[in-house]
Amino acid sequence: MTTPALELRRLTKRFPARGRIGTQGDGGFLAVDRVDLTLPRNRVVALVGESGSGKTTTGLLALRLLGATGGTILLDGEDITTLNPKAMKAYRRRMQVVFQDSYASLDPMMTLGEIIAEPLGIHGLLTAAERRDQARRWLEKVGLDPSYASRYPHELSGGQRQRVSVARALVLGPTVLVADEPTSALDVSVKAQIINLLQDLQADMGLSMLFISHDLSVVRSFADEVVVMFRGRVVERAPADRIFDDARHPYTRALLDAVPVADPKARRRRKFLTAEEIAAATPRFAAHELEREPLLDTAEPQLVALAGSHYVEAVVGG
Amino acid sequence: MLSYIVRRTLSMLVTFVVVSVVIFLMMHAITGGPFDGYDMPLPDNIRARLMAQLGLDQPIWVQYLRYMWGVLHFDFGVPYQSPGETVLSLIAQAWVPSLTLGGLGMIIGAPIGILLGTTAALNRNSPIDYLASALATLGLTIPVFVISMLLILIFAVWLGWLPADGWGEPKKWILPIMAYAAVPIATYARYARSAVLDTLNKPFVTVLRAKGLSERRVIFQHVMRNSAIPMVTIFLPMFVGIATGSIFVEAMFRVPGLGAFFVSSIDKRDYPLEMALMLLLTMMFCVSYLISDVLYAVLNPRIRIDGGER
Amino acid sequence: MSDASAADLKLTAPDLPRQHSPLYFAFRRFLANKAAVGGGVVLLIVVLMAIFAPVITGTNGNDQAFLTQALAFPSAQHWFGVDDLGRDFFARIVYGAQVSLGIGFSAAFCSVIIGLPLGAMAGYLGGRFDWFTMRLIELFSVVPPLLAALLLATLTRGGVWSIVLIAALFGWVNVCLLVRAQVKSFREKEFIMAAQALGASPWHIIWRHLIPNSVSPIIVGFVLAIPLAMMLEASLSFLGIGVQPPTPSWGQMINVGMNFMFFYWHMALFPTLALAITILSTSLLGDGLRDAFDPTLKGR
Repeated sequence: MTTPALELRRLTKRFPARGRIGTQGDGGFLAVDRVDLTLPRNRVVALVGESGSGKTTTGLLALRLLGATGGTILLDGEDITTLNPKAMKAYRRRMQVVFQDSYASLDPMMTLGEIIAEPLGIHGLLTAAERRDQARRWLEKVGLDPSYASRYPHELSGGQRQRVSVARALVLGPTVLVADEPTSALDVSVKAQIINLLQDLQADMGLSMLFISHDLSVVRSFADEVVVMFRGRVVERAPADRIFDDARHPYTRALLDAVPVADPKARRRRKFLTAEEIAAATPRFAAHELEREPLLDTAEPQLVALAGSHYVEAVVGG
Repeated sequence: MLSYIVRRTLSMLVTFVVVSVVIFLMMHAITGGPFDGYDMPLPDNIRARLMAQLGLDQPIWVQYLRYMWGVLHFDFGVPYQSPGETVLSLIAQAWVPSLTLGGLGMIIGAPIGILLGTTAALNRNSPIDYLASALATLGLTIPVFVISMLLILIFAVWLGWLPADGWGEPKKWILPIMAYAAVPIATYARYARSAVLDTLNKPFVTVLRAKGLSERRVIFQHVMRNSAIPMVTIFLPMFVGIATGSIFVEAMFRVPGLGAFFVSSIDKRDYPLEMALMLLLTMMFCVSYLISDVLYAVLNPRIRIDGGER
Repeated sequence: MSDASAADLKLTAPDLPRQHSPLYFAFRRFLANKAAVGGGVVLLIVVLMAIFAPVITGTNGNDQAFLTQALAFPSAQHWFGVDDLGRDFFARIVYGAQVSLGIGFSAAFCSVIIGLPLGAMAGYLGGRFDWFTMRLIELFSVVPPLLAALLLATLTRGGVWSIVLIAALFGWVNVCLLVRAQVKSFREKEFIMAAQALGASPWHIIWRHLIPNSVSPIIVGFVLAIPLAMMLEASLSFLGIGVQPPTPSWGQMINVGMNFMFFYWHMALFPTLALAITILSTSLLGDGLRDAFDPTLKGR
């Protein structure tokens, strides 16, 4: 098996307690709890969960925009967890991001051309004229007229701004793209356009994409593998079709139930579970039902392997 | 809550110490002690004796510590300009006019300002509003000695109604008090106006009106209470501004107060007096900021609950 | 490139008319504020008068050409009368504008030079640097600028450049706070995170992103620092430790005017009015700019 483009091993982030309401007893808020995630080359992995599940934080940790409290981050097999900014700079070319808020993602005082050319300038690539050319080429690649290079972000619609964000992210030719809810703030019709754009570019450039979202319906057509997070932990991980057909963890099922269904006759009775109910409904498996031996010999919930690359957080019991 | 008070107090103490050190060093950096301004230069050995007598030949930090020790005992030394008295006694005489005029200026000015500001807010965008805002801006931007000058020109020189000199009889107090009152009026007018406007726009006022409460009750009972907090806490720091302004007001109206002494002490290079006045003022400022911070924390329930983390 | 994206081109990029930037709306708001515009116009007039002083007055302001008519009242030849040393008072006032405005603008400029980098770094880097900067600001806030300025001025015995430096020493605080607040509000924005993800150094981010986005606090801070500096200068000159004669200064003239005010009121009136009008108009302009750029700042 080739080296995965991005690998997160037991990645943890604890925010220090500061007298806030809702901190956990031991002082500190565990946003990301020993998360394991592998992003293979040229694949799209969707990281889903609702607000507060830790998925965005995981993305920021992977990009090293936040400092991890524990765990390892491997980019193309190389450990970048503790590199200083100078050493990180070279790696940053290979790993880029698109954010949810398209308006805040672009510097309001820069023209679109400058925004897209900036990454090239930061890394000292090409001459100024060549950078401008590249910017215009990329505007076209993401579906905007090159003459827009002299316009400002406030003159565009949300969908157009996201296109510019994508262009800026890809101009350096990264291998990994982290897309943090890129369509969540967009209208439904525009959502589809941006997803299509990302799909096309991913196929063209062989990108490995970590697609973070709370909306499973967006993910369905697009992802190869789905990783489900709940309260900072990974609770289920499986190839995309398996998740939709055969979800095993109650939280995943709750997420799926929340997806609006087009056919009124097929309307299921939705069960909206509370977090406590979900936690209480952790699946149990006997050891022989598992594909592989459980990693830990414990009664605590852990990620166990089922058939077909399907992992679920469950309790192993006889 | 208590921790907040303790923290602020410590922080103020530190600030005060730092400022006092800075002041002390600056004073002594002025080359030229009390003996350099004279026409007849003193022979070196006599000068050395005098310096030793006044303790001016010790290393700086020793002088500083000795001085601060004295301060703790309310001993500010002896002023150069009148060695017969102590700095403390001079200050004791001088502060009465300053406090009277400045205090009256504030006490009279604050309610006037509040009234002005409230009226302006209630009659928003009317001529009264514009006039009040204009006056407030004038009061705040124009330096106090310019205001004093204008007052003197109008009331003393042209109209001849009021005297502009000294401070013996109450009639002489009127103009200086007006000059002092300008800043409080302007400040409170601004605060009152914006506070009342803010509160009037809040949803709970609409609810009160919907409940049928008379306009007057709405205003006096509810709106004023909510607007009061910033106005109370600004009172003390404003005092700071008055004290600073006293330098000019007393110069213009020839009032023998602390401000006048301050100017003359600078003029005459009277270290002990100058030092004492600066320290006193700084101490007053530190204390007044501290009190107003604490007061704000006490009055503002939001800070009280959150523990004062600003 | 697949057809889908090319087709998207048609859908998503109808020809948009050029739209207005936020700065344009700020400008409109400013124009609506009549007091601020008035202040700006008056300031402009005073500035022009100061620049063209030699042309307007025909002298250099220090010529004691009219000693025989010393203390004369305003007349057709001497619009503001003649001062105690036989100089045309109008000329003195106009040259005083040069000095006051010159000091005001220079001090404001220096305030920005000091306050901008400090504010930007404190806002972006946070942590110890921010803590240190805020302690420094606290120190400067406790001591009233006037008193400290007095002390410093006695040290330096006055003079134009020491006044400028002293005024800048107290003016930078406001600029620093304004810039710091702006930078802090931008720091968590995604375009800053994107720049970090791109590998930009803190200097690049501060210089290329944060400072250009701080144009409004810089302008506001600059304009608001001017009346402060002018007030400081006038106060110091009034007490005799500011601008030294024969260089004209309105504060100085007010001091002199005090001695003559009961009989020769013009000596006191004109410098007072000049000072009041100039400071007032600059303050109104500064307030208006601040309101225009960020209407949420003032409690309207």
